[in-house]
Amino acid sequence: MRIIRNATTLGLIAGLGLAGAVAQAAADPIPTRQAIMSSVGAAAGLGGGMMKGEIAYAPAAGKAAIATMRAASLSFGNFFPAGSDKGNSDAAAKVWSDAAGFAAQLAKFTAATASAAEASGKSGPADLDAFKEAFGPVLGTCKSCHETYRKQK
Amino acid sequence: MKKAVIAALLLVLAGAGIGWGLSAPTRMSAQEAALLTEGDAARGELVFWAGGCASCHAAKGADGEDLLKLGGGLRLETPFGVFVAPNISPSEADGIGAWSLVDFANAMTHGTSPGGENLYPAFPYTSYVRMSAADLGDLFAFLKSLPIVEGKAAAHELGFPFNIRRGLGLWKRLFLDPAPVIASPLNGADVDRAVWERGRYLVEGPGHCGECHTPRDFAGGLVLADWLGGAPAPTGEGKIPNITPVEGGFGSWSAADIAYYLESGFTPEYDSVGGEMVHVQENMARLPASDREAIAAYLKAIPPVSAGSD
Ligand code: HEC
Ligand code: HEC
Ligand code: HEC
Repeated sequence: MRIIRNATTLGLIAGLGLAGAVAQAAADPIPTRQAIMSSVGAAAGLGGGMMKGEIAYAPAAGKAAIATMRAASLSFGNFFPAGSDKGNSDAAAKVWSDAAGFAAQLAKFTAATASAAEASGKSGPADLDAFKEAFGPVLGTCKSCHETYRKQK
Repeated sequence: MKKAVIAALLLVLAGAGIGWGLSAPTRMSAQEAALLTEGDAARGELVFWAGGCASCHAAKGADGEDLLKLGGGLRLETPFGVFVAPNISPSEADGIGAWSLVDFANAMTHGTSPGGENLYPAFPYTSYVRMSAADLGDLFAFLKSLPIVEGKAAAHELGFPFNIRRGLGLWKRLFLDPAPVIASPLNGADVDRAVWERGRYLVEGPGHCGECHTPRDFAGGLVLADWLGGAPAPTGEGKIPNITPVEGGFGSWSAADIAYYLESGFTPEYDSVGGEMVHVQENMARLPASDREAIAAYLKAIPPVSAGSD
């Protein structure tokens, strides 16, 4: 099992990726929302890797993973303007045809990151168990949105 | 798709027209039926999840305990029309409560109803035909223990000639085959044969993975030469991925990656499972870890199907 010691660096990269994404927001919604989701994937990789024991746990890394998720959940929904279903996107037509359902999935995601952020506090969950408790529910929200609102591979 | 529909139409018409004998529904032989024994409901629960019965026979969007209420009603939209999953709860009037184990096994492995009619392959008996007699007995015992749901599901919405069940006889003769798809592990693969065979059983049999991941030919039969090589999604947008060990593709997933995906729903890049695979993954997560590992071992040692052949 490969242990990545420098978990904090990974977390920072995930977080910075998001900041960069939001800066180019107005220009083009599709690459923006994809970059946000890509940072979500990176944060899931960091958090999941620590949960599996492949990456050594550090509270700062835990905090980075949670903060990335938090920011993504708050911003993601803003990048689906009408007409942005066309183009190089994997978002399913249902995002627009069933906007209420999509909003409900977003709300679940945002609620889970809010609780995680609260548990994370100033310096991140103190130990791996605390991190698992905070982060697990965030990872639990991905599937149900991808099930309906993303095109199949 | 249009071409495929017309071809299937001709096949069905031929099936209905060509000698009545060729299109007659088949049943288990007396010897096969004699192998069936009343099973164990607790073991049957695992067969139930492996088989994914709830994905079609429970209500749309069902979760938790509701997955065990098999009243049917889910609409499966296909180029041939809309199939509506029937009630298979133990209701005597509306479900399969009055069926015998042999009736059940004939439906699962021959696509033949107790009344002697051909069932449509929207019910994936072309995979279930590979299930063992022991698993069928256990599964039946489990189904009998589930809550009764009253009320028949709506009728299928199929145009002529697909609404003639008799016409399916010829199709079944062509495409219903209990033999394994992949005879042995890929040459040179370093796998435990028993583990690989368990994986093969789960994937080719109850798991019915090929029904989605394998392309279909003009008549709706699976193209076995491209087994698990990926296919256009039958419903909804997008594609169903190639899950053979191709270089530069799924081949980069380790056996541990595959088992972890089936357990957690996360790819090696920590993307999350989506689409119709969500139900399948959640069902696989209920099986023992050894079964997910067996599936992974099988998928790592089958012939790679090169990209673009679908
Ligand atoms: C509210 C809905 C929603 C939730 C919740 C959600 N996703 Fe997504 N995700 C999407 C959509 C829609 C896309 C496709 C975006 C596009 O291509 O325009 C996507 C795309 C992705 C991608 C591909 C990004 C790229 O590079 O194009 C990854 C990775 C991903 N999601 C991971 C996750 C993970 C991990 C979670 C859970 C922590 C998650 N998603 C939660 C809707 C969601
Ligand atoms: C109902 C159709 C269906 C069935 C049955 C099904 N799959 Fe899938 N599978 C899909 C779809 C659709 C995807 C793409 C998921 C996505 O978009 O995230 C997929 C994705 C996958 C992936 C991930 C591949 C990748 O490159 O991301 C694996 C592994 C997989 N399936 C294995 C299986 C196995 C093993 C079985 C049988 C136990 C199975 N599938 C049965 C539809 C199905
Ligand atoms: C992909 C969807 C799908 C899955 C998965 C599925 N079924 Fe079905 N099933 C159907 C459809 C559609 C029919 C109706 C076929 C017909 O009318 O000819 C059906 C019919 C049946 C019947 C015959 C019912 C009758 O009244 O004639 C039985 C029994 C049955 N299924 C049992 C099961 C069991 C047990 C499983 C799991 C091992 C299962 N099915 C999984 C779609 C599915």
